[in-house]
Amino acid sequence: MTSTIKRLTMAASAFALMAGTAQAADINVGSVAGVTGPIAELVAPIVAGRNLAAEHVNAQGGLLGGDNYNLILADSQCDPKAGVDAGGKVVNVEQVVAIIGASCSGATNGMVQSVTIPAGVVSLSDSATAPSITDLEDGDLVFRVAPSDAYQGLAIAQLAIDQGYKKLAMTYANDDYNAGIAAVFEQAFQDLGGEITANQAHEPNKASYRSEISTLSGNDAEGLAIFAYYGGSGITIIRNSLENGLFDKFMAADGMFDASVIEQIGADILRDNIFITQSASDYADDSYKAFAEAFEATGNDPIAPYAAHGYDASFLLALAIEKAGSADRGAIGAALREVASGPGTVIRPGEWEKAKAAIAAGEDINYEGASGNVDFDEAGDVGGIYSVNTVGDDGNWETNLIQ
Amino acid sequence: MDQLYGISLYVISLLTFGGIYAVMALGLNVQWGFTGMFNAGIAGFFAVGAYTSAILTTAASERHIGGLDLPIILGFIAAMITAGIIAYGVAKICIRLRSDYLAIATLGIAEILRLMFKNETWATNGPRGVSLIPKPFETLPEPWNHIAFMALVLLIVFGLYVLLERARKAPWGRVMAASRENEAATRAAGKDVDRLRIEAFVLGSMFMGLGGALTAHYLKFIDPNAADPLTATFLIWVMLIVGGSANNKGAIVGAILIWTIWSATELLTSRLPDELAIRTAYVRVFLIGLLLQIVLQRFPNGILPEQREKALRAEREPQSQP
Amino acid sequence: MIEFVNFHLIPGIVLGSIYALGAIGITLTFGILRFANFAHGETMTFGVYVTLTLIWVTGLHPLVLLPLAMVVTSAVALSMDRVFYKPLRASPTIILVMASFGLMLMLRSVTQFSWGVQLQSFQPGIQRPYVLFDALRISPKHIVIVIAAIILMLAVHYLLTRTKIGKAMRAMADSPELARLTGIETERVIKATWIVGASLAAAAGVFLAIDTHVETMMGFKILLPLFAAAILGGVGSPYGAMLGGLVIGIVEEISTYPWIGDAPLVSPGYKAGVAFALMVVMLIWRPSGLLRGRVF
Repeated sequence: MTSTIKRLTMAASAFALMAGTAQAADINVGSVAGVTGPIAELVAPIVAGRNLAAEHVNAQGGLLGGDNYNLILADSQCDPKAGVDAGGKVVNVEQVVAIIGASCSGATNGMVQSVTIPAGVVSLSDSATAPSITDLEDGDLVFRVAPSDAYQGLAIAQLAIDQGYKKLAMTYANDDYNAGIAAVFEQAFQDLGGEITANQAHEPNKASYRSEISTLSGNDAEGLAIFAYYGGSGITIIRNSLENGLFDKFMAADGMFDASVIEQIGADILRDNIFITQSASDYADDSYKAFAEAFEATGNDPIAPYAAHGYDASFLLALAIEKAGSADRGAIGAALREVASGPGTVIRPGEWEKAKAAIAAGEDINYEGASGNVDFDEAGDVGGIYSVNTVGDDGNWETNLIQ
Repeated sequence: MDQLYGISLYVISLLTFGGIYAVMALGLNVQWGFTGMFNAGIAGFFAVGAYTSAILTTAASERHIGGLDLPIILGFIAAMITAGIIAYGVAKICIRLRSDYLAIATLGIAEILRLMFKNETWATNGPRGVSLIPKPFETLPEPWNHIAFMALVLLIVFGLYVLLERARKAPWGRVMAASRENEAATRAAGKDVDRLRIEAFVLGSMFMGLGGALTAHYLKFIDPNAADPLTATFLIWVMLIVGGSANNKGAIVGAILIWTIWSATELLTSRLPDELAIRTAYVRVFLIGLLLQIVLQRFPNGILPEQREKALRAEREPQSQP
Repeated sequence: MIEFVNFHLIPGIVLGSIYALGAIGITLTFGILRFANFAHGETMTFGVYVTLTLIWVTGLHPLVLLPLAMVVTSAVALSMDRVFYKPLRASPTIILVMASFGLMLMLRSVTQFSWGVQLQSFQPGIQRPYVLFDALRISPKHIVIVIAAIILMLAVHYLLTRTKIGKAMRAMADSPELARLTGIETERVIKATWIVGASLAAAAGVFLAIDTHVETMMGFKILLPLFAAAILGGVGSPYGAMLGGLVIGIVEEISTYPWIGDAPLVSPGYKAGVAFALMVVMLIWRPSGLLRGRVF
């Protein structure tokens, strides 16, 4: 047995060596994402966002002395086993400076606890929203630009109350992301004096939700709060509700925020009947516009869920490396905090040259991201600033910041 | 130097994961290789073991039940016992089913178990999973924590290997092999074949439960996605068949080899040109499938085929269809 | 009561028709080639993407393009058989199952690589159902799906009972040894099996896509219910698969009806488990299935 294992080990290391040789001028950052898992369709635009930031950095002078900002993609499959494996690969074999990812909360949870925290590598998640990540004792190594759902559940509940809803039915896709927001929303809405008439989990990816919705629709519910991904079940639920006249008012969290909701259901029927929250900076502001324009030019939809967060995570790590002055794992965490929040020169998406010059001149900088102001709190989370999205007159999503 | 150190760490993680899979592949070998029972519900026993150990050994938490903060070793034992009890129940009902039917029955049972872990939020924190699971040796400094954990896993693999080799050569194993070849004759010889099969099913499932527990502690986290049928059932089958069914060495080699392929192909595909961007991840899955086809066509009996007396094998060939 | 019909029974029948078509392919491969084909779900998905591409090119309705998609999907299934299954013809079942597992991964990655993973749909927008007698709601697309499924099932019936190759297929599913002795050309029957299985898979996939949307995991996600349907009906029996598919589809949907009190009988989170529970009970109570398939 030993000889076989030895041979295997040798083969594996030779293999890894061959694969692991990086060009001298590359600074590697791990880009861990659930590319082939159950939410592959959501992950693709997020990865595109990360890659766009890297393009911006490399097109405007690169990192430090002109080094190439190189994102190394690893697949977390939305599965903690694969997340740990993917994290281990980029940390150990590819020798990355830091990690973006790993998409799903479960995969992220496994990866940071088992790989990045022990190895002392900073990880910056762009879509893991589970509150349990806040609880980790991470030695200031785990950051998120995606707000914990604790915030968003509150925001939706408050909005619903503000708009005069008293009785709501709710349903959530039974996955790590949506179940979390739903739990917070249920509590918050009741605390604010509302009544939940019915609350049901559903399995995503079913062909029909007519039976579920018909059960939910009793008890004078005034609307339906949907916590689901648009592709998994969200669109189907809205479609089934409207087609059968069961519900006509909807509210949802950012997993539903996508252009395809309007495309597939129709703008007229949704106008005034739906609102979706999303964590955001002031959408009218330059940060979002800068990102949106560049992202659209690459053939992607800028409002795809968490694409802006992907961009911000990727851009922030580049800034942190620049600020730290070297591709040194240990220095990234502190530098990340410095570049993310004020005071300092405001940097927006795409403004790499400006940032580079400011850092070189020894100035403080403050990145204001496309997804929000990305000021990290003590736990490495960002606070929740949300926008509310409704269907505008032009048939697109119209975004307003919640003050 | 850093590079070499990193690669050594990666090899350690390959051996750790591969070793955990080897534990489960050995369990499957008891069921399929020695007894001919087609268990397609490995993920179910994996999940039972993982959650049992996780719930018993974590510190108290409001997110899930348990939180008894028990020593990890008790978690392992409890994981094996719980998986064994559930396996006994399943075996009692399903043991008389022939191979394909047993496969689909166990597949269904595993899916139902997974849905329970997902839906019974009060107990398991539902899809959000159990976090902050203690990991053996985690207080040791890098890289000794990883090395110690790997050593633990490999020690368990070795222990189980010795145990199974002894069982295989003992009367128990021989009757088992006989019942797989010719059930009627074995029954006629007065052996209680059903009882033997139940024993084998329970024993194999206990290994799977242990594999689940080891995974939970290794990841420090467990959620229902970790028990998806692709990586927690089918992959283990591939490992056993590629390694060599009914050969304990084969199970171990297959597990480590297939895991290495599964994991290390990514190091190649992530080197593909950027224009393909995200699509390289799909190329990797394609490569895995293709490698599997090649191994199946080249080594139909596995890399390390079953070691048996020539006469017996010759007798077995014609009726290779289960 | 009318809610039961509108929101549980009718969706159940639609889903059941889709399962039925998919399960025929599973049961035929089970019966004739003797293995559980894990790549069947990906074959469905592939058929859907072929249809989608044809829609992009021609702009025609998916049902018009379905025959062409069936031909393409069959051709792919046949070439997969030639390259990957044929060398393993004499191997034990388990090897074939593993091979189909490998093909599942390969075919899926080809689909994801070629078409990307973004959600697509045949026709955007919502379709209001017809309301009959002020109460009964039936969506036009559901009528289309059910009628098309019935036509295809009748075609399968015709093939199996009236044509020489169909009779040979049935003979082989019943008893391969006997079939070989009576001089049936095994390879031809196997080819026919792949063609029928792949065509129906493409059809089932397209119907599912008409009802919902197009994505790369859609076939895999209904693979387990398809197995359940094939077992329930009796392995190797195409009629059993049709019945099994319908039963599974309907039971899944009506299990969440509030039979007792106001709450759904089975929490929707467990909906998927209903099919499996039914299947396990069936296996224990009557392993030959509803329509007396083979017991291996």
